[in-house]
Amino acid sequence: MLAVAVASCATVRQPEPGAPIPVPAPLPEPAARTENLAIAGLVDGARADAAAGRLANAAASLERALRIEPRNPRLWQELARVRLKQGDYAQVESTAARSNSWAGSDNALRAENWRLIAHARDARGDAEGAKAALEAAERQR
Amino acid sequence: MFDRAKFWRYIRYTVLSVALLASGFTFYLDFRVRSEFEGRRFALPARIYARPLELHAGLRIAQIDVVRELQEAGYGQGPREGEPGWFANDNDWLEVAVRPFVFWDGMQPAKRVRVAFDGGAIKAVQDAEGRDLPFVRLEPLPIGGIYPANNEDRVLVRLSEVPKQMVQVLIANEDRNFYAHHGFDLRGIARAAFSFLRGHGLQGGSTLTQQLVKNFFLTPERTISRKVTELFMAVLLEMHYDKDEILETYLNEIYLGQDRDRAIHGVGLASLFYFGKTVEHLTLAESALLVGMVKGPTFYDPFRNPERALERRNLVLRETKDRGFATMEQYAQARAASLGVNQKAAMGTSPHPGFLDLVHRQLRRDYDETDLRSEGLRVFTTLDPRVQSAAERVLERKLAQFDKGKIFGEPGLEGAVVITDSQSGEVQALVGGRDVRFRGFNRALDAARPVGSLLKPAIYLTALADPAHYTLVTPVDDGPFVWKSRGAPDWEPTNYDKTFHGAVPLRMALAHSYNAATARLGTDIGVEKVLATIKRLGIEREMQPFASTLLGAVDLSPLEVAQMYQTIASGGFRTPLRAIREVTTQDGRPLRRYALAVEQAFPPEPMYLITAAMQGVVREGTAQSLRNWLPPETAVAGKTGTTTEQRDAWFAGFTGDRLGIVWIGYDDNRAARLSGAGAALPVWGEMMAALNPEPLALPKPDGIENVLIDPESGLRADFACPGAVELPFAQGSAPVERAPCASALGAAVEGVKQQAKSWMQRLFGR
Repeated sequence: MLAVAVASCATVRQPEPGAPIPVPAPLPEPAARTENLAIAGLVDGARADAAAGRLANAAASLERALRIEPRNPRLWQELARVRLKQGDYAQVESTAARSNSWAGSDNALRAENWRLIAHARDARGDAEGAKAALEAAERQR
Repeated sequence: MFDRAKFWRYIRYTVLSVALLASGFTFYLDFRVRSEFEGRRFALPARIYARPLELHAGLRIAQIDVVRELQEAGYGQGPREGEPGWFANDNDWLEVAVRPFVFWDGMQPAKRVRVAFDGGAIKAVQDAEGRDLPFVRLEPLPIGGIYPANNEDRVLVRLSEVPKQMVQVLIANEDRNFYAHHGFDLRGIARAAFSFLRGHGLQGGSTLTQQLVKNFFLTPERTISRKVTELFMAVLLEMHYDKDEILETYLNEIYLGQDRDRAIHGVGLASLFYFGKTVEHLTLAESALLVGMVKGPTFYDPFRNPERALERRNLVLRETKDRGFATMEQYAQARAASLGVNQKAAMGTSPHPGFLDLVHRQLRRDYDETDLRSEGLRVFTTLDPRVQSAAERVLERKLAQFDKGKIFGEPGLEGAVVITDSQSGEVQALVGGRDVRFRGFNRALDAARPVGSLLKPAIYLTALADPAHYTLVTPVDDGPFVWKSRGAPDWEPTNYDKTFHGAVPLRMALAHSYNAATARLGTDIGVEKVLATIKRLGIEREMQPFASTLLGAVDLSPLEVAQMYQTIASGGFRTPLRAIREVTTQDGRPLRRYALAVEQAFPPEPMYLITAAMQGVVREGTAQSLRNWLPPETAVAGKTGTTTEQRDAWFAGFTGDRLGIVWIGYDDNRAARLSGAGAALPVWGEMMAALNPEPLALPKPDGIENVLIDPESGLRADFACPGAVELPFAQGSAPVERAPCASALGAAVEGVKQQAKSWMQRLFGR
């Protein structure tokens, strides 16, 4: 009941109809879009390739999936995971950050991205940075 | 005195030297025949492909667009038994017999699929048994090649791939004794000699071996001595190689027509070029048409001289039947068939030379020029044919339209377009000039022109990255501005509308592209700082640290501008623009993949703010007229650019899925009297409208909050303020002071709202 009251308060006043609304429209919820059969097929393929060590193929499949759903943070995260296996640590960090930028309210996903970043920093010998990333992961709870 | 012994010695020496010379010559010919025949026989051009169209449920594409792409790839309408490469359709579905194709990551075999459509999207993709498929890749369209110097093009085939009957047709018509002779045919020569003596010139009588030698090693002149050399070499060829090897080489070498500047060689390419199918699927009638063209590919060109070609084909068919290689029934059926050639636009070495130029330059970083022109590499690019054709069509039409209103004569206005995928940085289309088929000066890559106001977003981005000092509502002074620096004349930028506007909110200064306000803002922040931002956005060219640089006294190519805006479009993640995805060898072995690489160049908050400000440019600023092409919901972010005396008109902007850059001006730098909004924007708008753009919706970063603002005072508003707007601010940077219009009740409500918000956050974690 309180939530309803708060909600009605939250819509204090909408701008006049026709008045400019500069704020970009809210993001479509990413989870709602992962039903896509093509995405599922490509991700399955990528996982099989990654497990078999065909990392370039795995990355290529994920890039194909990203062409279909560029705003899907799970795909970016999956790609970061492959980059970690490839040993491309700079790309792990930026790809995980890209995933974070689309993660919306999915804290578990963000935490996982920070853990990937921590792995990458650790592998590069940046213990300090890794620790900071792990702390960031903890903060997502 | 006659010395008998001496005489015979002379004779012996003469004979010996002649024999030596002859054997030397023979040895030389033999060497040439063997080395050239065995070495690299054919230089194969690198073959360039567009992106493959991937069909999957949920893809927003109209059936007509899929059909168009199939037709471009040479697919015929209506089922054909036993061979792929056709489609059949009804209103709601499309059935495709997809040809096999070797992609970068392996072979996709031929398959029958059904694609169901629902409105403007694909509902399902199924196999022949009705099972759902995740996706189907159509074979990518060939968009040209990187050719050897003579522009010879061919697709190599094995003799085993060529239909037996085609070989029989060839032998029946060109060299009846092929399997029996040793490189020359006495009866053929007798026939030729007879014809020569009757005054018909030196012609015919050549065996396939001789024809091959002629094409392979010799110049086309017709002299007796050359005929003799040809004969010699033909015999040598026959001594070293068996009939099948010679035949296979012949079938790959033979010249079979011209496609603009591209020479069509070999039956492999000819069957693709004329019939849109691979050689193994050629019918008797089609084989006969190709064999008939051997005599004169131009004279019997089935596109230009269809009647002559048909007559010739039927003659070839009769000869084939008479030699016993076709039954009466086969003959009658083939004779009744139409020419069956695929009528499509001439392509030449490429239909999109501007894009190919970009691909070629990117390839040159990793490959040798000679390898590109001879090793038959397969290059898979990012070109989207639908986007490319929209760009070409709209630019051509609009420039013709603008030219009509111009007092200047030839040469007319020029233009360039670059369109990329705003998220991945893949170049989907590139046009280098108004004559889109012309390979020459590529304005998209090589025309460095003053960019004018296109640099402004970099200045405002630099400001917004410092939220302690600048927000979207910070007032900036658009009063007269003079910049003095030692050793340079004073710099006094004026506004486009020749007036000054006093204090304006920062977002409005960008929206209306006020020069005085921008110059003041840029010099306040510091030119060096702005230049650092430009560099981080992806511009590598060195820029002079002058104040005038701020207002775009800098020359950039449309591609460079695209790189800079790409970083903004993808939320601060810099991605090098790419035109190539993968390269494989001729037989499909992967050589190199150009992976998607991102680099976070800016934190998300300032990127969010600058994008909101650029959406303002379209919503209420200099690019308002875009609403003539796209609805406000598309929420395009963009910037117009117009340079001194209107020499250059620019528009740069992005939707949710694409970034586009348009430049228009004269090559010789005449004043075009066209503004960015007046000329470049209409091209951009019409192009994007044709591509059904996705709305731009940025993810709101954690560090951004939306606050209701009274536009009058630029202060915090509430429900009591008419015309209040919600604007994004970096956390904690929004004005605290309440606008005069805000009510006391509003303050109380605001307090409750803040409390409730933090309570909700604790309850739901956000």
